[in-house]
Amino acid sequence: MADLPKDTDILVIGAGIAGLCSALYLARAGRTVAVVERGEPWGDASGANAGTLSLQVKRPEVLHITRRAIELWQDFKADFGIDVGFGRPGGLRVATNAREVDMLRHSQAEQRTLGIEVEWLDGNRLRDTAPWLGPTVLAATWCDWDSYSSPLQAGRALIDGARRDGVAVIGGAAVTAIAKETKGYRVTTALGVIACNTLVIAAGAWSGEVAAILGVTLPVSADVNMLSVTEPAPHLIDKVVTHIGGILSLKQYPNGTCLIGGGWQGQGGLASGRKEIDHEQLMHNFRVAIGVVPALANLRLVRSWSGFEGVAADALPLFGPLPGRPAAYVNACARGGYSQGPALGLLMAELISAGRTSLPMERFYPARFAS
Amino acid sequence: MIDTDLAIIGAGAAGLAAATEAVEHGLTVTIADDNPRAGGQYFRQPPLPFRRNGQSWFDKEATRANALFDVLGHPKVTHIPDAVVWNLPEPNVLAVAAGDRSTRVRAGAIVVATGAHDRPVPFPGWTLPGVITAGGAQNLLKGNRMVPGRRIVVAGNGPLLFVVGASLVRAGVDVAAIVEAAPVNARLTAALPGLLAAPKLLRQAIDYRWTLLRAGVPVRTGMTAVAAHGEENVNAVSIAPIDGEGRIDRNRIERVDCDALVVGFGLTPSVELMRLIGCDLDFHPARGGWLPRRSTGFETSVPGVFAAGDGAAIGGVEIALLEGRLAALEAAVRLGRARDASVRRAALTHKLARIDRFRRAIERLFAAPCHYLDLLADDTVVCRCEEVTAGELKMRGREAWTSMVQLKSTTRLAMGRCQGRNCMATLASLVAQSMGEPIAKLAYPRTRPPARPIALGDLLHEPIAPPELPADPHLPRGQKVT
Ligand SMILES: Cc1cc2nc3c(=O)[nH]c(=O)nc-3n(C[C@H](O)[C@H](O)[C@H](O)COP(=O)(O)OP(=O)(O)OC[C@H]3O[C@@H](n4cnc5c(N)ncnc54)[C@H](O)[C@@H]3O)c2cc1C
Ligand SMILES: Cc1cc2nc3c(=O)[nH]c(=O)nc-3n(C[C@H](O)[C@H](O)[C@H](O)COP(=O)(O)OP(=O)(O)OC[C@H]3O[C@@H](n4cnc5c(N)ncnc54)[C@H](O)[C@@H]3O)c2cc1C
Repeated sequence: MADLPKDTDILVIGAGIAGLCSALYLARAGRTVAVVERGEPWGDASGANAGTLSLQVKRPEVLHITRRAIELWQDFKADFGIDVGFGRPGGLRVATNAREVDMLRHSQAEQRTLGIEVEWLDGNRLRDTAPWLGPTVLAATWCDWDSYSSPLQAGRALIDGARRDGVAVIGGAAVTAIAKETKGYRVTTALGVIACNTLVIAAGAWSGEVAAILGVTLPVSADVNMLSVTEPAPHLIDKVVTHIGGILSLKQYPNGTCLIGGGWQGQGGLASGRKEIDHEQLMHNFRVAIGVVPALANLRLVRSWSGFEGVAADALPLFGPLPGRPAAYVNACARGGYSQGPALGLLMAELISAGRTSLPMERFYPARFAS
Repeated sequence: MIDTDLAIIGAGAAGLAAATEAVEHGLTVTIADDNPRAGGQYFRQPPLPFRRNGQSWFDKEATRANALFDVLGHPKVTHIPDAVVWNLPEPNVLAVAAGDRSTRVRAGAIVVATGAHDRPVPFPGWTLPGVITAGGAQNLLKGNRMVPGRRIVVAGNGPLLFVVGASLVRAGVDVAAIVEAAPVNARLTAALPGLLAAPKLLRQAIDYRWTLLRAGVPVRTGMTAVAAHGEENVNAVSIAPIDGEGRIDRNRIERVDCDALVVGFGLTPSVELMRLIGCDLDFHPARGGWLPRRSTGFETSVPGVFAAGDGAAIGGVEIALLEGRLAALEAAVRLGRARDASVRRAALTHKLARIDRFRRAIERLFAAPCHYLDLLADDTVVCRCEEVTAGELKMRGREAWTSMVQLKSTTRLAMGRCQGRNCMATLASLVAQSMGEPIAKLAYPRTRPPARPIALGDLLHEPIAPPELPADPHLPRGQKVT
């Protein structure tokens, strides 16, 4: 295991997608970066997540970030020699009743005004596109940006890739105290003290906790998302499937396993650290999934689990300088933050090394919560 | 939702004995088992419509078995066959997947009697067709009256090898050799006093040994299989002696021809459900590995959850029968319903103590003489689901060999459809060895439901209230209980 350096130019707290991507692009910008992680790198939300990179499910405010991110996901191999198990089969966002059809129409129109085109499918065209959809699906929008990557492969590849680019990625180094110095910060971790010029909080659902060490209040809570995987099956579901009601995410990986999620809530929370399966919520998740793709009923469930997804009170990313704390930044709590991770990492690197970003990001600055 | 006084998971020796005891105290019982017919491993029944005729050697236990099965007809007993208990969503609730009978069972107390499975030990060639486990061979014989080959080598470590060997002989198979790793002959004298504690069991053991002797089966002790050979199917096995220091002497390899290889390196308790609900476990290699920590009343660290039989600690059928009774008795006490508890407890405990002496003698006799990791070659597949080799593990290990959790996430090991049953033990040994830590100290990756794979469609049948849907899916969904 790597030792904790005495000092570094930039210190990132948290080795999930947000922290690792920030570190990777900062290293590319020529900066010296260390990432300290409380547990195993990639051990929380990013390691537990579904790997869906869907553009069309995102809130309008983050559509452009997500599109940029999917481009970066796609280019990881070319840019960094990193194989994240990326695939871009395109995706269907389904509606299963009249109200949902209206919602879908509304969303399609809204996305069009933002310059993102999704295609309306119903009737025979929908069945021809996806004969495996069940009769309850009345309509869907098709988005050719919708993709996936393998969280397992991506984690390993990003950690290896960051290390190759000189980033120190150190697990078992929970941050417990932060002291302001004349220049930069002195950060106490479980493995010792490290000094840095610049600090990036990328501690996911725990970013509120870490910011509190610096005396900054961030309104962060955590959802306990559940996810399930089936045994490998013959290839059938050849597109990423999502739901206008936000209650299903479904896809089949190249190895044949199907991943079923959709934000159904398990039991527990940040305070207790528990993240347990909720029986009835899980049943609902499967019922929605089987309603949309009936063939799933014949597959065997191998594992269900849950993880903490950090969310800010307004469900927008927490991105940018911490108010009143020079050279301290936060990059956390983007909804569907796995999809957006590479772009948010790149934008964070731009902000720190050039002082400006290639997409407008001010609205996501944590200062919006300062009263 | 079914409401019951006592829920029993597993209808093998321990589970059936528990049910028998429970109804004697007037408890209502729900017993779920994932086989079409009750019996578990030892009392396995052939599939319907076949019946035992009580005539063959394989039916010698028919009387005892039928007496046990009687309890399933008792008016207070509900038997759910073909039913996987896949989760304990609350410590007193079972989630049962059983096709259109899928349901939840809420119980006053639970007896976990889930039995054991073969301990997987990877070695070169172990994934070849024609190589099957000792337990699997017994199932084939008992459940289907089938034999895995015509000329068979039985190899590994533990008393089950002799049971399987004798059964195969009785079934008319040419058993080419029994290859037992432990030097049992050299240890016999020391074990004898303990063995004499249970004369009936000793007689049974002698019967197995005698069957092998009469058939002229070579019994090679102090030797281990080191590789299975063949292209489409196993056609030979290499065996080698183990010296006094536990080293495998690869200079003295012998080759034995065969068309099937039965391997058994002992059994491991099926503790998944207990792991799921966070029962404290301890590591006891002699009893099969990770075991639930139990009170003298067979209660796990989770109140109201009792564990009995091979699912709690490997001990064989006689111990399973007694523990099943005792666990149900203690559950009845807990529910305030027990009759004559102290008298019954004393009688059962007395018998158990005697058989326990026999068990300990058997354990010493068969204690593993070598480290099974020494059987691994770099290209040996450790994880069959994801085809991860020992070499690949060692390579990932050199980079960052810090925990099982990490290795699991960097290799996909234990994430396939076997849910780690085939590979987790090897992974633990490898990590422990390379870190110089005892296995007992390792942090295991969390066990997640289902305890066994289940068909998703089964879960459509349980009646539940319609869900509350999020008004705006982007906003925090809000936690339930914390
Ligand atoms: C079950 C599930 C499914 C999901 N599916 C999807 C999906 O399909 N698509 C999608 O885009 N998003 C999905 N998400 C959301 C996505 O996973 C998260 O938005 C994203 O992974 C967050 O990344 P992160 O780096 O901010 O947080 P994390 O990955 O949680 O990383 C934060 C890290 O900070 C560490 N840390 C915390 N406190 C400290 C401390 N004091 N010191 C040091 N380190 C600390 C933590 O240990 C952790 O490793 C899903 C989430 C879950 C839980
Ligand atoms: C494959 C195998 C074959 C064996 N053959 C012999 C033999 O021939 N002779 C001998 O002396 N010993 C044999 N043994 C040893 C055997 O374990 C004991 O002798 C005896 O069967 C132990 O009884 P038990 O009730 O503890 O467990 P078992 O008899 O194994 O009964 C446990 C039952 O629980 C069921 N179960 C487990 N988990 C679940 C779940 N989650 N949901 C629903 N049901 C579940 C199992 O399918 C099984 O029916 C065998 C062991 C194995 C693993």
